This record gives sequence, structure tokens and C-alpha cells, in this order.
Amino acid sequence: MEKKKEKLRLGIPKGSLQDYTLKIFKAAGFDIEVPERGYFLKIDDPEIECFLLRPQEIPKYIGEGNLDLGISGDDWILESKAKVMEVCDLKYAKQTIKKVKWVLAVPKNSKIKSVKDLEGKTIATEAVNLVKDYLRKNKVKAKVEFSWGTTEVKPPRFSDAIVDITETGASLKAHNLKVIDTILLSSTKLITNKSARQDIWKKEKIETLSLLLQGAVRGQEAISLMFHVSKEKLNKILKFLPKFKSPTIKKIAGENWYDVITGCQKKETRELIPKLKRMGCQGIVEWPLVKIVP
Amino acid sequence: MPKKINKIKFGFPGDSFLNQTIKLFEAAGYEVNLKEGIYQLNIDEPEIECNLFDTEEIAQYVEKGIIDAGITKTAFILDHKIDVVELVQLNYRNETWRNGKVVLAVPETSKIKSVKDLEGKKILSRVPEITKNYLRKHKVRAVVEFTERPGEPRISALGDALVEFTSTGETLRTYHLRVLNVLMETSPILVANKRSWQDKWKREKIENLAMLLMGARLAQEYSGLMLHASNDMMERVLKVLPSLKKPTVTHLRGENWFDVLTVVKKKDLRNIIPKLKKIGCTDIVEFPLNKVVL
Repeated sequence: MEKKKEKLRLGIPKGSLQDYTLKIFKAAGFDIEVPERGYFLKIDDPEIECFLLRPQEIPKYIGEGNLDLGISGDDWILESKAKVMEVCDLKYAKQTIKKVKWVLAVPKNSKIKSVKDLEGKTIATEAVNLVKDYLRKNKVKAKVEFSWGTTEVKPPRFSDAIVDITETGASLKAHNLKVIDTILLSSTKLITNKSARQDIWKKEKIETLSLLLQGAVRGQEAISLMFHVSKEKLNKILKFLPKFKSPTIKKIAGENWYDVITGCQKKETRELIPKLKRMGCQGIVEWPLVKIVP
Repeated sequence: MPKKINKIKFGFPGDSFLNQTIKLFEAAGYEVNLKEGIYQLNIDEPEIECNLFDTEEIAQYVEKGIIDAGITKTAFILDHKIDVVELVQLNYRNETWRNGKVVLAVPETSKIKSVKDLEGKKILSRVPEITKNYLRKHKVRAVVEFTERPGEPRISALGDALVEFTSTGETLRTYHLRVLNVLMETSPILVANKRSWQDKWKREKIENLAMLLMGARLAQEYSGLMLHASNDMMERVLKVLPSLKKPTVTHLRGENWFDVLTVVKKKDLRNIIPKLKKIGCTDIVEFPLNKVVL
């Protein structure tokens, strides 16, 4: 009889983290197919079994040992109080727009000015444990109520304050709420559990995946830049280049020009390309990278 | 108090150009955040404040200085004789990377078979001045009346012929209209207000944006090309490669072979790659580009 193959059970977060996660896996070299319905995903690695689950549940299933590995946010990891271990962070650079921010907000005309004023009040939130921990840290006693969603409509009738996720603050503003504190900035994490760590095969598989995924995250944030520069300007230009990686400089056959290839962060190119162009560089070409493994 | 940041006000096309313009900004390396419900769009560049307007409004607002710069259509610039700084034509239309057209159309059942048959008729037009010039050129006298978007459903009740923008021709077909003639091609164009252009800081900011958008747009038409060729092939290889960018030719260590790196128009590659193969080149690799700034 054929020996039963070992499999790694992986949880992929459904919802707002889903697209980003699939993109990173693709860059890491794994194609994941998402069926219209159902939670069993197809991944082109026979050693992995892949499930689509809410990021709220993934830490719990990993903590209980039903999954070996998964992706979730700091927020849901803390909220679940599950016994999980962090393998790596999957947000390499700060993303200004898409960063997940949990804030404490109250109606604009409320007398609550800071966390201390919450004593004896009611707070609505989707992350009850997160808020309880926050209150304990601030030595405030208040009632924390679970909210099934659209939390921003709860005050002032159903609660005195809320703790919710915000991106631009537009939705809070639209509901006449003001932010009085940030309680958590949440990042995306690859997590596992103790028993998977103790299994030699799983441990190695997870380490390989972690290496490729981190390489993919770095690759998404960076690009490669190539341009031509005359001999006289070469030194001046080299001082300008980001220190991300030392540039490769090649003399162009039969001319007094040089070809420079360097890597830099995607966002840096906005400043760098116009600067290089103004300094006399020619033929500036930028191309995408898939993985960077330092 | 926080220091007030210098900003340019930018008109972002909120009409049928919206999706393709977002794609172009993303290709140029910006994170774009669209809140459809509240008609708001942000990019991760605090010095550029985006406002969603119709492309037609953008032409007028930039001229009046309500906004510093924006993306409008060349046809509107021409039609309204808009006095602005014209930076770059970006060559796309709704959903594709090709230009749209301004066409003269009549109902399928109409007896109007050519422009001459328009004598004494009534034409509804999105661009009345261009239409009047067109008629003058053909020595035809007809009534030209401005119409709001979309013109197609109005034609049966309100006029004999229609001058409208078209991309795939689908709307025209839906309303049983037949194209009689193409008046012009029209492209999205980045324009700046003349007074803003006098401000050094604003001018540089707008020039940089133009450089990055055009660089991203060009990169869609080009690919990177890498290959190995021996010394005796080099002359023929360099003849086959287009001279848009000086190819980077470097010597491979310890051999009589060279590594050649260049950028080539995607469409030309169909002919160039087989030619290079025939010459004897090896390891031919084509790779995608993010930006090309020549």
C-alpha cells in the first residue's frame, strides 16, 4: 500500500485580507484556486491542504491544532486568546492607506474626552477581548458589548462609545463620531502552533513557506531600475541611489556611457526617476520583482 | 499646530475614464483608494489632492484655476478652445489602452448616407465647435445643438444626426445608430493651469506626475529583452534591435560571448525574436516593465 502522504493544513483568511494573501502566495510560487462556494481551496502543492476561513476563526483553529499554519491579523490573534506562535510578519513596509487601525470613538458632542471618562459606560465592538484588555490596562471599568457589525451606528442610543476599524475616518465622520484614542495597529501575521513546530517535517515545510512568502512580500514592495549615465555624471548619480542594494555598473561597449542597475522601494521611484531624469540620465527603465531573498 | 502641507489640486476623471485612470495610477506606483458611495478618491501621496469630476468639467476647472491640473480629453480642449498647459497624451479610453473616437452617426433607417445629406438638418453634438468646423470643411449648412452625455438615447426624438464619443461602438449599436464618419481620435491628456505652471513647486510636482504616468503608460507597450550573442553575431544583432534605447552590451566572463539588454516595443517582438533566434542568439528572455522614461 502507498504510504500516506503528510500534509500541512493551511488557513487562508476570507474577506479583506484574502486578495493580498492570494497575491503573496502567487508571488511565492503557489497558485490557489478559490471556488465560488465552499471553503476547500485548491493549491498546486500536494503537500498542502488549504481552507478558506474567517480571519477571526483562524487563530482559534490553529491554537486547537485543527490547522497547522495560517494567516490572520494581530487584532484577531489577540482577540481569540489562542495559543499560537508567530512565524513571520507579512507586511514588510508600512502601508499608509491599507493599515488596519482600531480606534476608540465617541459622539462629537460627548463629554467623554479620554479613556478615563469611560468608567461605568457602555462600549460596542466586534473585538470584545481586545477592548477588555485595553480597559484593564487603563484601570477603567466599563461594560463591553459585542456588536455584530455596523458598529458606528450604535452611539448614542445603544452605546456610549465604540471601538472599531477605520481607514480614512470617513465613515466615523459620517456618523458624527470622533476618535479619542488608537488602541491597536494591526499587521498581517503567519502563525503556527507548538505541535507543528515539534514535527520535523512540518517545521521544515513551514520554514520554507515562510522564506518564500517573506521573499514575495519584499518583492512586491521593491522594483529594479536601470538607466544610462555618462562617465562625468556617474559619481554624482551614485550618491543619489538608495542604499537598498549596491548597484551593478557596467560600461557600455564602445561608448563613454555606463549602464546602472539598482533595486529600490516602489514608492522611492516617484522621487528618484524625476531626479535622475533631471540630472541627465537616459533610457530609464523600471521592472517588477517577484521575490527578494536577502 | 501642524505645518500646512503644500498641495496641488488634481482633477481625476470620475466618468467613464475612471477605471482605466485608476489602473494607470496604480501602474505608476500609487495606491488608489476609491470610496464609491461618497464619491471620494485618495492616493497615497499627500501632496496631490484628488477630486473626482467629469473630464469635461476638468478642462474648464483647470482653465479657471479651480484646480491646478487634471486629466481631460483632447477633444474638449479643442472644442472649447481651452487655454491650458498641455503636458502628455496618455492614449487610452474606457477599459482599453487605445484611444477613443468622435464619430458622426445617424439612425440605421435614416436616408442620410453621406455628410452632404446633412444640409438643413439638425445635429446633436457633444462637441459643437468641432462639428461646426467639420461641416464648414464639407460646405454643409446644418443646425448644431449641444447635447449632454449620453447623446444616443436622445437622437430619435431630438435630431437627425449625432456627434458622440465612442469606444467599442456598443452603445451606438444598442440605439440602432450607424457611423457615417470619424471626425477625430481623442485621447486623455494631462493639463495644467497656466498660473499654477508659474509656481516652481507646483510645476515640478505636475511635471513629475506627468513623467511617471507617461512612463507607466509607455511600459505597457514595451518589454525588456535579454539575450546572449557571440562576437561575430553582434553586428547583425544590433541591426535587428530598434534604436529606441541604446542596448547595454556587456562581455560574458571568459568567453567570446556578450550579454545584450534592451527594451523593445511589444508588437515588434513578434518579428524580432525569430530573427534573433535565426542569427544564433541564445537565452532570449522577455520580461515585463513598470516604467519607461526615455
